[in-house]
Amino acid sequence: MNQPFDARPQDLPVKAELARLRVRYHKDSRLAYLGHLDLISTIERCVRRSGLPFSIGNGFARRMRVQFSGALPTGTSSSCELFDLRLTEEVDPREALERLRRATPAALAPREAAYVPGRLPALEAWLDRSSWEVTLEGDGIDAASVLSGIELVRAEGVITFLRGDKEKHVDVASTLVGASAASGEGSGAHLVVETRSGSGGSLRPQVLLDAAVRRAGLPSPDVVRVRRTGQWHEEDGRLVEPFGPFCTPGPTPLS
Amino acid sequence: MRVERENLFHLVEPLLSRVEHPARYLDHEWGACEEQDGPFHLCMVYADVYEIGQPNLGVAILYNQVNAQEGMSCERCYLPWKDVSELMREKGVPLLSLEGAAPLASFDAVGFTLAHELIATNVLEALDLAGIPLTSSERDEDDPVILGGGPSAWNCEPLAEVFDAVLLGDGEESIVEVCSCIRDARAEGVSRAELLRRLVGVPGTYVPSLYEVVVDESSTRWGYAVPRAGEGAPEVVHKRCVPDFAATPALAQKIVPYAGIVQDRMSIEVLRGCARGCRFCQAGMTYRPVRERPAEQVVSCGVEGLLASGHNEISLSSLSTTDHSQCEQILHGLNSALEGRGVRVSIPSQRLDSFGVDMAAAVAGARRGGLTFAPEAGSQRLRDVINKNVSEEDVEWAARNAFEAGWRRMKLYFMMGLPTETDEDVIGIARLAERVLEIGREVVGRGVKSGVSVSISVAVLVPKAYTPFQWCGQLEPDEVRRRQQLLLHEVRDRAIRVSYHDADVSLVEGALSRMGRAGFSLVRRAWELGCRFDAWSSEFRFDLWLRAAGECGFDLADVACEELPLSARLPWDHTSPGVGKGFLQREWLRAVEGVTTPDCTRTSCTGCGVCPTLGVSNVIWGERS
Repeated sequence: MNQPFDARPQDLPVKAELARLRVRYHKDSRLAYLGHLDLISTIERCVRRSGLPFSIGNGFARRMRVQFSGALPTGTSSSCELFDLRLTEEVDPREALERLRRATPAALAPREAAYVPGRLPALEAWLDRSSWEVTLEGDGIDAASVLSGIELVRAEGVITFLRGDKEKHVDVASTLVGASAASGEGSGAHLVVETRSGSGGSLRPQVLLDAAVRRAGLPSPDVVRVRRTGQWHEEDGRLVEPFGPFCTPGPTPLS
Repeated sequence: MRVERENLFHLVEPLLSRVEHPARYLDHEWGACEEQDGPFHLCMVYADVYEIGQPNLGVAILYNQVNAQEGMSCERCYLPWKDVSELMREKGVPLLSLEGAAPLASFDAVGFTLAHELIATNVLEALDLAGIPLTSSERDEDDPVILGGGPSAWNCEPLAEVFDAVLLGDGEESIVEVCSCIRDARAEGVSRAELLRRLVGVPGTYVPSLYEVVVDESSTRWGYAVPRAGEGAPEVVHKRCVPDFAATPALAQKIVPYAGIVQDRMSIEVLRGCARGCRFCQAGMTYRPVRERPAEQVVSCGVEGLLASGHNEISLSSLSTTDHSQCEQILHGLNSALEGRGVRVSIPSQRLDSFGVDMAAAVAGARRGGLTFAPEAGSQRLRDVINKNVSEEDVEWAARNAFEAGWRRMKLYFMMGLPTETDEDVIGIARLAERVLEIGREVVGRGVKSGVSVSISVAVLVPKAYTPFQWCGQLEPDEVRRRQQLLLHEVRDRAIRVSYHDADVSLVEGALSRMGRAGFSLVRRAWELGCRFDAWSSEFRFDLWLRAAGECGFDLADVACEELPLSARLPWDHTSPGVGKGFLQREWLRAVEGVTTPDCTRTSCTGCGVCPTLGVSNVIWGERS
């Protein structure tokens, strides 16, 4: 079970030695509107309800040892969100997945769980590539026009946009990997956008699309739906899946 | 024709990407009752935003109670923030329930919790957004029955025209009976007027439209309510009261919110009522008698609830948790059952004695944040007037114990504008804060690094119905401001931080607390002028309230600050929590003389009248210290 409160510091488990369970889950339907902080507390409560032997940190606040992949913009759905949970003892991953599934709202249902090496970097920093499916609906909107707008934005190099009252900049050259038309159900323009996060910032698809629509002189779409469909770690030009195989355990800093 | 019951979430969803905190409107939380088949449908409304309303225990209790009945469903509704209500009006979307996203106007009954007086304009806003006529007399046969209840129902006269019926006292005792009565009357096809007459037959149910207001020489300017002839309404409606708390479910909050809410923790009501007899405290008079929940039930339900909900904090709530005769046993039981799970136990406020500090230490573990005490007045004389039975020595003892136990920050609550208060009493607040600070420095050491600080928060006394201070006038706002400045001037040490309530907000609260039925015109006009969310300091518009009062012929200061004759018939005399008027009059006279009255759970009966009137008694499981 979980470690007792009154243990001496030298008796407390060291984080890297704890089992690290990686879980992939969806963020669907109306829960796409759940903000990242609310999502974190919701998942923590799911873990507590599941009865898994989660580990508690040794800090003042005694928080659960769980780390999440990068924040999804509010309103964006996903089929590939991830969290890493430290357990004080290994539970069969299939059983862990089932226990989590029973304790989680359907719209955040966990789909996959497996143990990963304890010394991999934290998810948020490690996963630097994302793939997004985008649908825009509205009169006068078609995929080709939006794509030409994206190319115009790419040529400009930087997008300047407002978040609240603050002006922000994002480097398109380093953060936009590519964009292409895709087939999709229903009306509207369907695109696939590939992004990279790093020192140039991270590119939110909505920011790119707003800029592209504006640059191409298109009318504002009535509806924009964005869904994250994949997350990877990019290493030497190769994409590493969240569940491996991991080629270089390497001298990366401890998460 | 009743508005059709249908799920209209598709009308709200497109708005979510354009609004603040969309998580407020999501529903489908863990533990929410999604099966809402009815056929009888009640919607409980807390007329403020989700994060304020969701932690409310009263709504949770009634939600569970009704949903547990065969053939009855209960949903929740909160008031959307201004950005959403604006969009809803623009797009023609009516106010919807959370679970079924059904229009409020499609429900059989809609219940409002009156958590405080300043929620009044929000009640009108909710009804208007729902497309339900604002007053009982304007509603027709198919409109929902609008119910009210909660702590501020003890003077609900300014909103009496809004409610078809008001449930007095412990709602879990009467809500199912009231719903059954409405269901049966509707099934029989009786008129709305007849339905309301039948509701009078459910004890604890006040039907305002069956009373008329008489103003004569025996009353104040607001008059008093008498039953209309031939309607069968009683002269006085007494509250309902749960006699055996142990027989009620300890775990009321089963819904685990997605959005961060103001009290984001699991809450267990460990006892109801308080007999300490503080003379300014409405809850202390209206929630009597004291009914404790046994320690074993609190511990077992607390642990079970945490496992089921996944919360990492449990709060033991009540008017005075450390007065529970088994407080130590509860804390010990919870601490040992929850050890190592990263769960925090919290209690809302501490008693001003060493026991209070011991209990605070028992829940804090290694954490030492701030510790809160409420001496309420700055001098012993004034503490005797308000019957706050703590002495200077108690405060000093508690402070010394707390500093010795590791706390560094102390928060002290006081009130201003208490009857007989003088400048010396106000200055006494500063002196007491300085004394506490000095004790901290003696124990911990001097200098900034010791981290010792004291903050004092000073509220304005708002005389409330059914308290011994109901006859006294509120302090004039200009005098409030002068005394606040006096206090600020007197506090010379920078380690003492002073905050105080806004005099204008308190004035509106005071006026709404003592107005009679005629006060509805003010509430309605204020709402028409745009007053909403008056309890939010960012939203409160005193200029609009002043304008509304002027247009309605009221002077807010005159209303709130008027002293009422002790013998006068009061606007709320016909709705009773069981506390006798004679007791309140005696308490007022003792207050003026500075004579204290003991706590009946620790000594003998003090004659408040609740037990014989309601046929109940205090339920104490151990020996109170």
